[in-house]
Parts: sequence; structure tokens; C-alpha cells
Amino acid sequence: MTRSGPEPGAGRHEHGVAMTRGRWADLLGLVCRLALGGVLLVAGLLKVGDPTGSIQSVVAYRLFDYRVSEMIGLMLPVVEIALGLLLIVGLLTRWSAAVGAVLMLVFIAGIASAWARGLSIDCGCFGTGGPVDPSDTAYLTEILRDAALFAAGAWLVVRPRSLLAVDTVLFRRPPAAGSAAPESRHTAPSVPKGAS
Amino acid sequence: MPRPPAPVPPPPRSGPPVALIGGVVALAVVLVAVVVYVVLRPDPVGTGDNASITGSGSSPSALRDAGGIRVGDAGDDVPAVHIYEDFQCPWCGLLEEVSGEAFTEAALAGDIQLTYTLMSFLDGNLGNDSSLRAANAAMCADEQGAFVDYHATVFAGQPPNEGDGWTDEQLTGFAEDAGVEDIEAFTACVEAGTHNDYVTDMQTRSNQEGVSGSPRVFIDGEELSNEQMQALMSDPTALTGILAGR
Repeated sequence: MTRSGPEPGAGRHEHGVAMTRGRWADLLGLVCRLALGGVLLVAGLLKVGDPTGSIQSVVAYRLFDYRVSEMIGLMLPVVEIALGLLLIVGLLTRWSAAVGAVLMLVFIAGIASAWARGLSIDCGCFGTGGPVDPSDTAYLTEILRDAALFAAGAWLVVRPRSLLAVDTVLFRRPPAAGSAAPESRHTAPSVPKGAS
Repeated sequence: MPRPPAPVPPPPRSGPPVALIGGVVALAVVLVAVVVYVVLRPDPVGTGDNASITGSGSSPSALRDAGGIRVGDAGDDVPAVHIYEDFQCPWCGLLEEVSGEAFTEAALAGDIQLTYTLMSFLDGNLGNDSSLRAANAAMCADEQGAFVDYHATVFAGQPPNEGDGWTDEQLTGFAEDAGVEDIEAFTACVEAGTHNDYVTDMQTRSNQEGVSGSPRVFIDGEELSNEQMQALMSDPTALTGILAGR
């Protein structure tokens, strides 16, 4: 902040700037929630209606025994849908985002391992998994997408507050001792909070 | 214009504990996941050795434990060729167009022991049930000894757009073209889905065996390479070369 020195109304103005900045972060939080949550929800919905294909997508990675592939193929979509819904409505944001981010890391590892082993598969992320023509593999794109979604999750773990989140209503934090900020909100601040 | 005063937050209270809500949600998700697993889990298929037709399969040429449809019966002394394909898969159509006759002629001549596993996973991808119905119809044709011709006719009659599938009338039309004699019995078999369970089991068994796509060709249990598959899809004489090179 470049302004210095108290002017009439300066306090309120400064306050407004701080609000805006926080609001931007809240908005970014909302975007992260919708991106990670939306992708997880769609991915889960597309797979849950096609159990055979979902299992097959896991089998295609050639990483697990069939029984394990079957469990992952059938249960992962449920987890994805649940995380997607939680993130979209903003409930338990930090924890959902943490699990979502970990999932993205796992997916990245899986895709990278398929790439490294020279398999020609679709990531199966959205249910259309399985082998593809070697020239049609899109490992890098898939990894970059999942990395971006991981970043979205990581942001929410660090700063879970966001716009339009159920969390804000449900877990409204009582004004904590020592934090004067909430208090100053409902008295017209006449003293500038300084340029800190 | 003066800003309206911000609403006064409610007095400090202890809201619902995050850990409790989190725990309940996590438990609910796990419960649903387990229920989904139990409900949707395909019945496991035995993967016992089924080298020969025992007559206990769903149709006359069907092997036990959804092991596939046998063409001819050339015995164990010749190379065992196992083809995994889905009737709706365009690459399978190309494979059949180019090398289908080579496979079936070699099998009927006793040069290879040929087995087809008819997969149906594309139904889920494409959002229809044509793979299942066509595979069932092929086994209906098998009841009348017309599997080979019916199989070839369906692939030749693939829709121009993957995913358009076939109507029951089209499946019946293929039977007429393939020389199925008792069309009435065939139609009844198609409409009843007589072999649907076997077809579903063939797909499950494919997943169990790690065959995650189509077309796949195995010779004596060894998967053909991309180059060999491309040869089979472009050169009608490729099979001879591949067999000779073994």
C-alpha cells in the first residue's frame, strides 16, 4: 500500500482495500473448489454408470491384481462423486481438498508409470479408459491437468476460506481473542490501521 | 452514501465440531462405496483350463467358464489363437475385414486352434447395448452352426458411425445373410437374450485376464505386438507370416 498519512475517510478506504484483497482470495478459493470439485464429480459420474469400463480402465494400467483393480474401479467413482459434491458446496473444504489433492498425486503417479512403461492407454480419468493408438496417448496433457488440479487442492488446504461455501455458514468462527479485525468491522474505523 | 453497518456476528458459540461432521461424512462415503462394490461387482468367472468344448457352454461352440467361442476344433498340437474383440469396435472391424477369413480358414483347415472372446465393454463407453446383443445373436447363430458366417456378417455390417449400433431387425437381417436357417428360432433367441449371461461373463473374464481393450490377439498365450497387429489389419496374408515366424 502506497498511501501514507491519515486523511479523512482514510481508515475506511484502507479497510475497503483489505476487504477486496481478501475477497479476491475468497473468489480464487471458489474457483479452485469448482475446478477440482467439478472435475471429480464429472469423472465419478461418468464412471459409476459403467462399472465394467471403470474396472477395465484400472486393469489397463497393469499395476494391480484383478481383485484390487475391481475394488478401485467400483469404489473410486463413489469417492470422486462425494469429494466433488463436498468441494462444490464448500463443506469440509480443507479436508476434501486435501483428499482430492492426494488423489491427483496418485493419478499423476499412475499416468507417469504408464508412460514410463510405454503402455498405450487413455488415462481412464473420465471412464473412456483403456488402450489407445500409441500416437493418441496424451500423458503430458493428462499430467499437467492433474497437476493444475493438485495446485487447486493445495491452495484450498492452505487457505480453505472461499466465497459461497457451506463451511462459512456452518463453522462461522467466533471472534477469536487477540484478533481485533472482526471487531473493527462494525465500528466505523476512525483510526487507520497503518500501512502494515 | 454511508455503508450500512456490517451484521454483527452471533455471540461466540461452539458450532458443530468439524471432526464429528467430517467423521460422519467419511463414514457415509465409505458405506456407500462398499454398497456400490457389493451391488455392482461382476460375478467372478472361473478361469480354469478349458482347452476343449465340453458342451456345457451356453451355445454348442462355447467353452466352459466363458472361455470364448471355438471355431473348428483343431486340437492341442497346433498354435492356439485367441482373439478378443467387440462387435462395435472399428479396429476389430478392420481386423476382420482384412484377416478374418485367414483366421477362420486356418481354423477350419485345422492349422490353428481358434477361439473368439466376444467383449461388450463398448456398450458402457458408447451408451448402448449393441455389443451385448450382437454377441448374444452370434451365439444364437452358433446354435444353428452359423457362428463363423454370422460373426463375419456383423463386422461387415458395422454402422458408419461408431456407437449407432444395430436394431434387432438388423441383427436378424445379418442372420438371413449368413444363412441361418431357422430364423424364427434365431429371433426368439435374440429377443430372449438367451446367452446374455455368457456374454457378460466373457467380458468379466477378459478383465480378469487383464485384456483391457480390443482387438487383442494372443498366440499360445503370447500377445501380438503393435506391429503384428498392424500387419494383420493391412495384409490378408500376414497371419501366415506370423505363424511361420514362431
